[in-house]
Amino acid sequence: MSLSQVKESSFLGGRIPPEIEAMSRNLKDVDQELFRKLLKAVVSALEGKDCREAMKSVAESSVIPQERLSHIIAGMHRVLSEAIRIPTMLLKQEAFKEDLRELRIPEDFVSDFSSVVFGNRRAALEAASSQRDPQLPALEDFKWRVDVAISTSSLARALQPSVLMQMKLSDGRFHRFEVPVSKFQELRYNVALILKEMNDLEKRSILKIQD
Amino acid sequence: MSDPEATKSLGCLLNGIAQKIYFNNNEITEDLLKEKFYPEMTQEEFNVLYEKTEGLLKSIARADMDHAQLEAFLTAQTKKQGGGGMSVEQTAAIFRFWKNQRVRVRESLLGQSRWEPSLKALFWRVDLQVVDSCGNTDNSRPVVLIEMELVRAEKNEFLCLEFDEVKVDQVLKKMANIQESINRIVNHT
Repeated sequence: MSLSQVKESSFLGGRIPPEIEAMSRNLKDVDQELFRKLLKAVVSALEGKDCREAMKSVAESSVIPQERLSHIIAGMHRVLSEAIRIPTMLLKQEAFKEDLRELRIPEDFVSDFSSVVFGNRRAALEAASSQRDPQLPALEDFKWRVDVAISTSSLARALQPSVLMQMKLSDGRFHRFEVPVSKFQELRYNVALILKEMNDLEKRSILKIQD
Repeated sequence: MSDPEATKSLGCLLNGIAQKIYFNNNEITEDLLKEKFYPEMTQEEFNVLYEKTEGLLKSIARADMDHAQLEAFLTAQTKKQGGGGMSVEQTAAIFRFWKNQRVRVRESLLGQSRWEPSLKALFWRVDLQVVDSCGNTDNSRPVVLIEMELVRAEKNEFLCLEFDEVKVDQVLKKMANIQESINRIVNHT
């Protein structure tokens, strides 16, 4: 079977990604020690860590040309990201190994890939990957102050309470705004309603969708 | 001009001035008000009337007069000798106008001394994250997407946020504290 035509059930889909084909071609003469060093660096990159130093030291100490190493690293990254996004209940370890064997990846390397995808690093990889899901910024910090305007340039006797809120968002932005008391009551009511809706949703198991 | 008509015109003039100075209605001009409600008056007479009415309205609004205060204020005005005095019908028109517009005028005046953006509206949607890009279906949890509309100087700005249940709970607890603080102030004054 040629590399671009694998059986339908491959976790890589109908067409093998070019990075993975290139990796497969460049794995010749790569010893397991080098492979593991590269794999470790790729895993830490997928976990969102900075792996530039690790990559640099591997590249400097290796006899394999840098261009070949780049193909291997890109292929590893793709294999792992593709495998992690399929739930374990849908991708069995044996099927995964078989798919890699069909790409003519040496058996030792197949085991190493498999131990990343099905081993105890999986939870961390999944968590890091879900961080990259599209999402709105979250609230990181919320500070408030209640003021009473006593008198203003336009109103001799204001005596009007208001709430000043400052929100720090997860994207680093700050927002400061004023909430008149009547609006505050509305805001509080809505937040309580939201919490109730969320609680109700969790209680209802009908929405738990199973593949 | 007959008395009921004069009262009506004064009511309209008061509303017109309020639109102009408190509700940012740029379409209303002195000329327009003259043309609509006092076409027979000379320009000079109208200018005197306009200035006097605007002065009265500003005094009433700045002090945010209640009914008793307004009554005392207008009684003093009617007792004024010379051309500055007011008729009973005119005071009735002012009473009626102030009864209807007091809250709005006060809001507008408070807004003039508000420099931070102010929360105008809140929109939200509760979602259940069913599957993520990893294909995970086991950690489906509700999230709420909240959009807050903030207004500053006629410009609207939208702040969009995502909250999980824990965060909503925390915010709600802080809001209970805020409410307590407000209650303490309101009860105290």
